[in-house]
Amino acid sequence: MTPGSRTVLRHAGRTGRAAAVLLLVTVAALGLPHLMPGSPAIAALGPTATPEQISAYDAQLGLDRNVFAATWQWIGDALHGDLGHSLSTGAAVTTELADRVPVTLELFLAAQLVALGIAVPVALLSAWRPGGSFDKIATVVTFGWLAVPGFALGLLLIWVAAVHLRILPATGWTPFTEDPAENLRYLVLPALTLGLPEAAVFTRTLRGQLIDTLDQPYIAAARGRGMGTSRLLLRRALRPAGLPLVTLVGIGIGTSLGGSVLVESLFAVPGVGSLVSAAIVGRDFPVVQAVLVVSAAGVVAATFAVDLLYRTLDPRIAHEHR
Amino acid sequence: MSTAEPAAVTVRAFGIRTVRRRPPVGVLAAAAWLAVVALAALLLPLLPGFDPLHGDFAHPSAAPGAGHWLGTDGTGRDVLQRTVAGARASFAVAALTILVGLLGGGMLGLAAGWFRGPVDKAIGFTTDLLMSVPSLLLVMITVSLRGPSLTVIGTLIGLFTVPHFTRVVRAVVLSLTERGFVQAARMIGTAPLRILRREVVPHVAPVALTFAFTATTVAIVAEGSLSFLGFGLRPPEPSWGGIIAEGRTALGSAPWISLAPATALCLTVLALNHLGEHLRPGGPAAAKGARG
Repeated sequence: MTPGSRTVLRHAGRTGRAAAVLLLVTVAALGLPHLMPGSPAIAALGPTATPEQISAYDAQLGLDRNVFAATWQWIGDALHGDLGHSLSTGAAVTTELADRVPVTLELFLAAQLVALGIAVPVALLSAWRPGGSFDKIATVVTFGWLAVPGFALGLLLIWVAAVHLRILPATGWTPFTEDPAENLRYLVLPALTLGLPEAAVFTRTLRGQLIDTLDQPYIAAARGRGMGTSRLLLRRALRPAGLPLVTLVGIGIGTSLGGSVLVESLFAVPGVGSLVSAAIVGRDFPVVQAVLVVSAAGVVAATFAVDLLYRTLDPRIAHEHR
Repeated sequence: MSTAEPAAVTVRAFGIRTVRRRPPVGVLAAAAWLAVVALAALLLPLLPGFDPLHGDFAHPSAAPGAGHWLGTDGTGRDVLQRTVAGARASFAVAALTILVGLLGGGMLGLAAGWFRGPVDKAIGFTTDLLMSVPSLLLVMITVSLRGPSLTVIGTLIGLFTVPHFTRVVRAVVLSLTERGFVQAARMIGTAPLRILRREVVPHVAPVALTFAFTATTVAIVAEGSLSFLGFGLRPPEPSWGGIIAEGRTALGSAPWISLAPATALCLTVLALNHLGEHLRPGGPAAAKGARG
């Protein structure tokens, strides 16, 4: 077998696996209304609902068919760009998502900037003199920081910045396209809330990787040629040591939805997170189902992208299996 | 050095290897804090006069002081009592999470690492599946459809820790099967179950138990997040996240309502992280195994 065909086979296998994961997530998402005790239609429409209303409701949610038939139908519609209609607003779910996804993505990107902006310099300074006073303080602070959950941190930030100092708005949102400066003001606190806990994880990961990398023979060789530690770190160690961060950011895309639910509800940011939490409360199944499947697709795509990116960024594993 | 002295133990604190004779102060403090919280959560409710739902209407939003050590909330309920009662919810959820995660992940990890091949592939697929759904959302949905209960919340959070337990356990089992003592046991014809029980499980257990510390913090934070979002226990039943959420609107006038349970939560997570780090077999491998 040639190396080329092996690559093709591996990608085919991975794609099949990813498709199977997505399929099962879709089945589970469409099966959600069945988790309700009693009839979802009667719960939603009230005891006075006519049989016609009930069967219309069941048809809209695919409850009149078995869950696999409903999945088949849903996937067919989804491939034609139709994710169903919201039960509460009647709007197409795709329209709702198109409004919300950019907000959540902006928040995610800003949080990554916060996290990387803190983690890279701190980790470099820590690895420059491992066990030195900066490293010791940074290690203790990041370790303690890991213990602060996102919602508590967000509340603390609101307390300090919005209630006491009154320098930033506590809740609300202005789209970037309307007023970029206002948008940034509203972005600061949610982005910090999402980014600061990640900064702690990133710092610890990168520091460990940098210190491990500095033990490698090629670093010793460069050191022998007279390269100083700071240049070694920046020119030789940072690139290979930074690779795990690519994974962390990639996985973060997938898990960001969970985090965004908290942050968006805390700061009243109109993103996917607040859309879905409102939909859960209102039993708006089409919206919930679409968000679940889209977010699973996001996780799968991110894992895939990380894998491809790894091969580009790290020539060492280009020819290894997995 | 006389031989009567206790043997020096190697301690890894914050990834720096030092040799000490007894656990460092931080570890003792962490253990002490956890013991205090656990004892308070277990014993204080037995005292007469302990009623986290009772409102002292004469003193609403009272600042911390003699009568109410940590102040009262908007309806005059004692914040300290509510925080202690909230710990019960957190620990109950955490206990269930660990039970589900350790049992489920332990079995799956042992099976995946031992049998390899198709079994490993199937289990890997299951863990991929579990990890690709947004766990917090799924718990929120279930709670909203089936009603909030500690059992549902704990079991579901536990379910979502299963893939992580599985990976940790599988990795250890894979490396063990290459080791001489396991191969020797195989070669002399020991029954597989006996090898698993006698040779593999004793090596897997410390790693899995260390990960249980992490899973405990995950459960406590997840329960807090759920209650904070309104998908945890129904108010007025206290839980840390719930009390923090209740205090949100009074941040300017009575910050202690939120700050007391938030501090308790952070300290507990910190203590668990610290103990877990201290007890972890092997070096600071936090970054490893993160691929996926």
